[in-house]
Amino acid sequence: MKHIWRFLLQKFLHFLLLLVALSVISFVLVSLSPVNPVDAYIGADVMRVGAEQRELIAQRWGLDQPMTTRFFLWLGQVVQGNLGTSMTYNQTVSQVIAERFEASLALMGLAWLFSGAFGVLLGIVAGTEEGSLLDRVIRTYAYTLASAPAFWIALLLLIIFSVTLQVTPICCATPPGTLAVDVTLWQKLHHLLLPALTLSVIGVANIALHTREKLIEILHSNYALFAYAQGETTTGVVLHHGLRNVALPAITLQFASLGELFGGSVLIEKVFNYPGLGDATVQAALRSDVPLLLGIVFFSATFVFIGNTLADLSYQIIDPRIRFGKST
Amino acid sequence: MNLSISRLKICKIKWWQWLSSLLLVQILAACSQVSSHTPATKVSSESKDEIVLAFSWEDFDDKGFDPTMGWNYYGPPLFQSTLLRRNENLELVNDLAQNYTISSDRKIWTFKIREDVRFSDGQPLTAEDVAYTFNQTKESGGLVDLSALDKAVVKGNYEVELHLKQPRITFINQIANLGIVPKYAHNKNYLRNPIGSGPYRLVQWNPGEQIIAEANPYYYGTPPNIKRLVILLTLEDATLAAAKAGRVDVARIPPSLAIQQIPGMNLYAHRSDGHAGLMLPYIPNTGKKTSQGYSIGNDVTADPAIRQAINYAINRQVLVDAILEGYGSPAYTPVSGMPWEEAKAKIQDADASKAKQILAAAGWQDNNGDGILEKKGLKAEFSILYPAKDSIRQGLALAVAQMLKPIGIQVNAEGRSWKEIEHRLHSDVVLYVLGTYDPLILYNLYHSSVAQGNWQNPGYYGNPTVDQNLDKGMIAASETEARLFWQKVQWDGQTGITSKGDAASTWLVSPDQTYFVNSCLDLGKQKQVTHNYTGSILANITSWKWNCD
Repeated sequence: MKHIWRFLLQKFLHFLLLLVALSVISFVLVSLSPVNPVDAYIGADVMRVGAEQRELIAQRWGLDQPMTTRFFLWLGQVVQGNLGTSMTYNQTVSQVIAERFEASLALMGLAWLFSGAFGVLLGIVAGTEEGSLLDRVIRTYAYTLASAPAFWIALLLLIIFSVTLQVTPICCATPPGTLAVDVTLWQKLHHLLLPALTLSVIGVANIALHTREKLIEILHSNYALFAYAQGETTTGVVLHHGLRNVALPAITLQFASLGELFGGSVLIEKVFNYPGLGDATVQAALRSDVPLLLGIVFFSATFVFIGNTLADLSYQIIDPRIRFGKST
Repeated sequence: MNLSISRLKICKIKWWQWLSSLLLVQILAACSQVSSHTPATKVSSESKDEIVLAFSWEDFDDKGFDPTMGWNYYGPPLFQSTLLRRNENLELVNDLAQNYTISSDRKIWTFKIREDVRFSDGQPLTAEDVAYTFNQTKESGGLVDLSALDKAVVKGNYEVELHLKQPRITFINQIANLGIVPKYAHNKNYLRNPIGSGPYRLVQWNPGEQIIAEANPYYYGTPPNIKRLVILLTLEDATLAAAKAGRVDVARIPPSLAIQQIPGMNLYAHRSDGHAGLMLPYIPNTGKKTSQGYSIGNDVTADPAIRQAINYAINRQVLVDAILEGYGSPAYTPVSGMPWEEAKAKIQDADASKAKQILAAAGWQDNNGDGILEKKGLKAEFSILYPAKDSIRQGLALAVAQMLKPIGIQVNAEGRSWKEIEHRLHSDVVLYVLGTYDPLILYNLYHSSVAQGNWQNPGYYGNPTVDQNLDKGMIAASETEARLFWQKVQWDGQTGITSKGDAASTWLVSPDQTYFVNSCLDLGKQKQVTHNYTGSILANITSWKWNCD
C-alpha cells in the first residue's frame, strides 16, 4: 500500500512540474507568434475600427500589458482556479472546454475503443498465421494506414460515403435543423461514425503491428513449444499464453496513443466540421487566444498524463512480475 | 476493395471469414447499416415553413449574438432591430425610429421611437433600452466603434438623444447597424441567449455548426412568411457539397463556382458591397518608418505617371470575365455601385497607348531594351502582395501583372501570409478586398490623418483638397448633403483620389454576391441576375416565400 502512495505522490510532483514547464513554454511560444491578437479579434472589420477603439479592445483583453505582466496575472488567476476568458468565443475558458470536450469525448472514446479492439484482433490474427496470405493482407493494410495522413483518409472517406454514396452526413455532430432535445441517439451515432472510424485509423496500424510482433515472439518461445508438446492447439496457446503477454505492449501503446488521438482529432474535426475541442484549438492558435490555448494545453496534458498513469497502474494487474513491493 | 474480399474468400476456416469482414468493417460499416435507414438528416425542402441557408461566412467566429460586442455585421441583425435600416436599394428607412431630428450644431440627434415594440419575451422596448445599448456598446471594447458618441440620454419613455462629440454624419451607419438590446436582460449570457425585437428569435445555436431561429411572435413589422430558419455555418466547399446533396435552400458560393448547375436550384447574382483594388504607396521611400519599424513609401509607385498608367492600362472587364466568371462589374472607385459613387470618375480603361503616353511624358523610357521602363536608373518594377490562400486575389494579381507587362511595367505577384503583408503594407502594393455599405470607408482609406502605420490609408496618401472634402462630408447636415462631398473626394473636376486625379489606388472589380437558391423559393427580387440590387440578401427576408405547392 505504501508503495502505491509513493508512486502516486511521485507522479503528482511530475505532473506539477510538467504543467509549469508547459505553461511557460506555451506562453512564450504564443507571444512569439506573428499573429496580433487585436487584429485577429477585429478580423474583417479592420477598416471600421479606429485607433481609439483598438486601444479600448486591447485594454479590455489586457493586451496592452507586457508579456511578463500578463503571464503572472494569468498565473495568479489559474492558481485560484480561474482559467480566464476566451477572446474567440466571448466565454470563460472552462465553459468552452467543458462544452467542446463533451463532443470530443464521444468521438475520441469511440475511436480509442475501435482502434484498440481492431488493432489487437488484427495483430493476433496476423501473428498466429505468420507468413500466410491473411498475414500479408493485414500487414499491407496496416502499413497503408500507418503511412497515410489521417486528414487525407478523412477527406477520402468523406468523398466516398458522404458525397457519392450519401450514406453518412456531410458535417456536424447533429442533423441540421434539429433541436438539441429532438436529436436521437441514433442520429448522434450516425454523425459520429465516420469521424470516429477515421480517427481510429491512427491507432490501429501501430497496435496491430506491435501485437503481431509480440505474438510471433511468444509462439516461438520455449513455453509455447512446451504447451504444444502437451497437446495444446494453436488457438489454445494464443488464448492461454499469448493474450496476457500481448496485452502489455498493446496497453502501453493504447494509452500512449491518447496524445496522438488528441492531435488527430484536431485535423479530423476540421474535415468533418465536428465542433469539438480540436476545432477550438485551431481557432485559439489562429487568433492568438492565449487563455484558451493554454487552457486546452493544460487540459490535454492532464488527460494524456492520466492515461499514462492508468497504463502504469494496469501493469500491476496484468503482470505480477512488475507489481509494487516486489523486490527489484 | 473487391480484390481483397475475393482473395480472402480463399481462406477456408470459418472464423477467418468472420474476421475478414471485421477487417472491412473499419471502412464499410457505415454502408450496410446506414443504407437500411432513411437518412434522417435530409432536411425536407417540402416543409413550407422552414428554409435552410448556408452563407459560407468565412469569419463567423462564434462570438455570439450580442450587438454591443459586434453581432450583425453581415446585414440585418435578425434577432434584434435597429433604429434605422437600409432597404434593398440602400436607402435609409425608419425601423424602430418613428422619426429623428438633428440639432443645428449637428451634435444632438433626437429619436422618437415606436411605442408598440416588444422584445421576443413580451416586454416593451423603451428609450431606456436604446440609451443603454448605445452607452454599453461605446464602453464594451467590442467590434463596434462608437468613439464618436459622447453619450445617449433618455428624454422620455419613447424619446432618446444621442450626443456626439463632434458633428459626424457617418454615425448614421452605426445607428443603422446597432441592434437594440433589452437593458433588463443584457448580461454575460446574452450573447448565447439573445432577446431582441427582430423578425426572428434564436432557438438554438450549435457553435461551428448551425443557428436555428424561428419567427418572433412579438415582431412589430410584417410577420415573416418563413417561420423557421436554419443557418448552417459551413464554409465554401461544404456549402457547395450540401447544396448538391439537396440539403440547403439558399447557398452562398463564390462567383468562381457559380458556373455550375445544380438541379432544382437557380443562381441568383446581385451586386455586393465588395471591392477589390490595389493600394499603391503614395510617397517615395525616404527611409521613414512606422512606429513598429516597417518602412514607408515606394519610389516607383510614388510617381503619379506610374499610378495613372496602371489605372488606364488595366482591362477591368477582362478581369470580371476571366476571374469572376462574369459575376461582377468593373470598379473605378472604392464605392462603385453605391449611391455615393461619382459617375464622372469612370475612365476608358484597357488603353495601353494612353498609358504609354503618360509614362513617356513623365520620362520613363526603355533604355536597355529589356522591355521594362526606367527613369533615372530606377526600374518600373513593383510587387503586388495578396494573401496566399485566396484564389480570387491570386487570379487578379497575376492578371494585372500580365496586363502591365506590355506597357513596360514589371509586376511581381507574391502570395504571402497576412503577417508578412502587414510588414510590407506601406512599401509595396497590396491587393485589398473591402466590403461595406458605409461611406466612412473613403475617409478611412484616404484621409491623411488616418495613415498611422496600419491597414487604414496604407499608402500614406495625402491631398489637402481631398482631406477638406472628407472633413466636410463627415460633418454634413444630412446623408444627401454628405454624398456631394463623397463624390468630390472621388473626382471634383480638378482633383480626387481616382484615376483622373491622384490615382491613389487602382480599383479593379466589384464581385457579385452569388447564391444558389431552391427554385421553389421566392426571394422577392424581380430578377435572378440583377445589377440594381446591392443590399444584403437578408434585407427583405420577411417577404421571402415558397411558391411551389
